[in-house]
Amino acid sequence: MIDFLQNWIYLTGAMALVGIGLYIVLTNTNIFRIIVGLNIIDSGTNLFIVTIAWHPKSVMPIYTATNNLVVNGHVISADPLPQSLVLTAIVIGLGTTALALAIAVKIYQKYGTLDVRKIKEEDK
Amino acid sequence: MKTYNLAALLVGVPLLMAFSIPLFGFISKQLTKWITILTLGFEFFFGLYIFLWHIYPFNVIMGNWVPPFGENLYIGPFATVLIMLVSFVGLMISIYNLWSANHGDVTHFALLFLMFIGGSIGLISTGDIFNIFIFMEITGISSYALAAYGPERRALGGAFKYLVISSIGSTLYLFGVLLIYTQLGTLNIAEIGARISQTTSGLLTFAGILLVAGLAVEAELFPFNGWVPDTYTGAVNPVSATLSGIGSVGGVYVLFRILMTVFGKDGNFVSTYGNIDLMTLVAILGATTVVIGELSALAQKNVKKMLAYSSMAQMGLVAIGFSIGSKLGSYAGVFQLINHSIAKAMMFLILGVIVSFGIGEHIEDMKGLWYKSPFLTITFTIGSLSLLGLPLFGGFWSKFALVDASIQRGGWYDFVIAIVLFASVVEAFYYLRVVGYMFTSKPSSVDKIKVSISPAVPIVAFSILIIAIGIFPQIVGGISWNAAHELTDKMGGYVLNVIPTIVGH
Repeated sequence: MIDFLQNWIYLTGAMALVGIGLYIVLTNTNIFRIIVGLNIIDSGTNLFIVTIAWHPKSVMPIYTATNNLVVNGHVISADPLPQSLVLTAIVIGLGTTALALAIAVKIYQKYGTLDVRKIKEEDK
Repeated sequence: MKTYNLAALLVGVPLLMAFSIPLFGFISKQLTKWITILTLGFEFFFGLYIFLWHIYPFNVIMGNWVPPFGENLYIGPFATVLIMLVSFVGLMISIYNLWSANHGDVTHFALLFLMFIGGSIGLISTGDIFNIFIFMEITGISSYALAAYGPERRALGGAFKYLVISSIGSTLYLFGVLLIYTQLGTLNIAEIGARISQTTSGLLTFAGILLVAGLAVEAELFPFNGWVPDTYTGAVNPVSATLSGIGSVGGVYVLFRILMTVFGKDGNFVSTYGNIDLMTLVAILGATTVVIGELSALAQKNVKKMLAYSSMAQMGLVAIGFSIGSKLGSYAGVFQLINHSIAKAMMFLILGVIVSFGIGEHIEDMKGLWYKSPFLTITFTIGSLSLLGLPLFGGFWSKFALVDASIQRGGWYDFVIAIVLFASVVEAFYYLRVVGYMFTSKPSSVDKIKVSISPAVPIVAFSILIIAIGIFPQIVGGISWNAAHELTDKMGGYVLNVIPTIVGH
C-alpha cells in the first residue's frame, strides 16, 4: 500500500486536481469561482509536469563526488528538464489568473454582478 | 542545414518594441502608433527579403546548440508565406489604428498589439513543441486583453469567455506535449517527427487527441469555437480584424505542422484507434464547422456577428483543405488561409468605418450605403465576392483547388465537394443580401460619408491585393505550392532541414 502510494499518489493527485478544476469551471456560474477552477487546473498541470520527471528512488540531478547519477548503466537522477518547464508554466498561469481577475473586476464595475446568467440577460 | 541567425530579429524586434512602447508613450501617444507601424513595416520587409532573395529554408540556432539539443527557429516556405501574411495584415491594421485608436489607453493598445504580432510570428517560426505553448500563451494573453479593450461592456463578456476556453485549451495542449515527452524525451519537432514510431500507440492516440483539442481552440474548429461569435462581436473592429486575420493563422499553422510533421508517416498518418487517423478526425471537425458556421451566419441579422460566424466557416474550409493530405489539398488550404485572412480583415475594417459614422451594425442599417459612400460599398462587395469564391477574385482559386483536390483524393472526400459548394451557395446568399441592402432603397436625405486617408489606405491595399490574386494567382500560388510541398514531404521538407543526420523510423 505504501509502495503504491509512493509511486502513484502524485500522478493521481494531479489528475484529480485537473478533474476538480474542470468540474468547477463547467458547473459554476460565478465568474470568480470559474477563475478559481482555472487556477486549480493550472496547479494540477504543474504537479503533473513535476511528477513525470520523478520517481520515488530518484536522486537530485546534480553531479557531485557522492551523488552518482548513473548506477549500473541506469540513470537514477530526476529529469531536470520538466522542472525547468514547470517554472514557465507557473509564470504563465499567474499571468492568466491576474488578467482574468482584472477582467472580472471590470465586469463587476460595468454590470454590478458576477453571475454569468445575469450578465447574459443584461446584454440582451 | 542552413543557418541564418539574423532572422531571430523577426521574433525579437516586436517583443522588444512592445515592452519599450510605454517609454515612447511618455513622449507622445501618437508616437506609439508610428512605432507600431515602423516595427511591422520592418517585419514585412524582412519577410519579403527572405522570400524574394530565396533565403528559406533555414534555421536560427541559439548559442551554437544545434538541434535537437538546443532550441531553434525553423523558417521554411510555409513559415515565410505566413510571416509575410501576418506582418502585412498587421501593418495594414496598424495604419488603420492611426485613425481608429483615439479613445482610451492608446499606449497599452499598441503594446498589446505588438506583443500579439511577436507571439504570432514566434508561433509560426519556432521548431520546439514546448515553445509553441509559450508563444500560444503570449498571443493568448495579449489577445484576451485586446478583446476586452474598448468602450462597450459586451467586450468584457466575450474576452472572459475567450480566456476560459483558450486557457483550458492550452492546458490540454501542454498535457499532450508532456505525454509525448515522457515517451521520447525530446521536445524538438523534427526529432519527435522522425522517432514517432517508437512511442506506445495508445498513449500517442491520447496525446494526439489532446493536442488537436488544444489547438482547435485557436484554429476555430467546431466543438472548441464557442468563443468566436461573442468575442468577435464584442471587440472593437480593428481587434476583430486582428483576431480573425492573424490569430487564426497561427493556430492553423501549428495544428497542421503537428498533424503533418509529427504524426505524418510515409505519406500516410499515424493511424490511431481503429483505422481512423487524426487527419480524418480533423476533416470531420472541419466539415461540421463549415456546416454549422454557414447556417449560423445565415440566421444572423447583425452584420458583425455574421462576419464572425463566416470566419468560423472559412476556417473549417481551410482545415478541410489541409486534411485532404495531398499536395494539392495543402495548397488549397494555404491559399484559402491567405484569401480568408485578407478579405475578412478588410471587411471588419470597413465595418469599423461604417459604425464610426453612427450607422448601426444591423443589416437594416446598411440600406442605402451606396448613396452615402460608394467607396465603402464597392470594397465591401469585393471582399464578399472573394469570400464566396467568384472568378476574378482571390477566393475563387482556393475553392477551385479545394474541389480539385477532393476529386483527386476520391473516396468519402466526394462528400467534401458537396460541402464546399454548399458553403459557397450559403455564403453567396447572406453576403449578397447585405450587398443588396447597400445598393437598394435610396434614403431621403443623403449625408455623404467622407473616409479619411488613414483608414482608406489599408482598405484600398487589401482590395487591390484581392483582385491581383484573382487575376494573377501565381503571385501567392508559387510560394503556396512550396509550402504544400514542405508540409506533405515530411522528411525532406522539414526533418532533414533541421537535423540533417537523423534517420527516420
